[in-house]
Amino acid sequence: MNEQLLAAVSQYGAPALFGIVAIAAIGAPLPITLLLIVAGSMISQGAMSLWWAIGAAGAGSILGDQAGYAIGRWGGPRLVTRLSGLFGKRANLQAMEAKAKAWGGPGIFITRWLLSPLGPWINLASGTAGYPWHRFLFWDALGEITGAAVFISLGWVFSDRVMALSAVLGDLTWAVAALLAAIVLGYRLLAFLRRPRVP
Amino acid sequence: MGETWRRTLAVGLAFVLAILGTFVFAYRAGRQARHMRKADEPIHGWMTVPFIAHAHHVPASVLFEAIGVRPQAPQDRRSVRQIARDLKRPVLELIDQLQRAVDTAEHPPGGQPR
Repeated sequence: MNEQLLAAVSQYGAPALFGIVAIAAIGAPLPITLLLIVAGSMISQGAMSLWWAIGAAGAGSILGDQAGYAIGRWGGPRLVTRLSGLFGKRANLQAMEAKAKAWGGPGIFITRWLLSPLGPWINLASGTAGYPWHRFLFWDALGEITGAAVFISLGWVFSDRVMALSAVLGDLTWAVAALLAAIVLGYRLLAFLRRPRVP
Repeated sequence: MGETWRRTLAVGLAFVLAILGTFVFAYRAGRQARHMRKADEPIHGWMTVPFIAHAHHVPASVLFEAIGVRPQAPQDRRSVRQIARDLKRPVLELIDQLQRAVDTAEHPPGGQPR
């Protein structure tokens, strides 16, 4: 499946990139970082235009994210439950909803590119939590265009090392996710330890 | 009281795991980044011949010649898998041939490596 998607981007360029990132933004687990790096490499080979690639990747992701948000906001509890069942458990969606409320705009921004596996959840949770649409659109567009520009530029610079670069970025994403988890858990641990003890 | 301590212990363990994960993944990323320039880029079925040529700094014409294909003008963007389908040949055989052509171009027998 992944091989076919990568072949489609290599063969058809920006239109294929647009379609694939839109589907991934709704929640399909697709190798988007690798696709963006490959697009960057193709730009350096003269097989794709930089602005077309950033535009297609940005627009596709924003479209997919908006669809996720709209489902959360107006899709009704039945559809949301079915979709959240597709992604995981309903309890997970409720936890994400609480996170979407707490993190706000910066949370939306960071889950567009740095913690992108959480993106589809945050879209759905922002919708169900009633996060204002114009703010969601602003942070979403900012994050998606930043992500597309960063990964495509990296692919352009390291155009002859796409697989190695993808492996580095994969590990780096997990390192950042683990660090954020450590910070959150550290705060919780401190709160537990500082709580006054009942004799 | 017991319940609180169990929760504290669980959060503490998760915290230690998260710290461990941070170091392990950061170390792996750093090590891979250091070796990135030297690492050999593997050939996959989704890659196009010009893409492989670019990754290995070998002229695309050399690779097309090695697999006995006349490239479609101006830039043949068929994947290796697609070419294998067109030629009715196993994709692994084509990848093997391409890899040998890359190795020969990078280290020509009795010559200077590219």
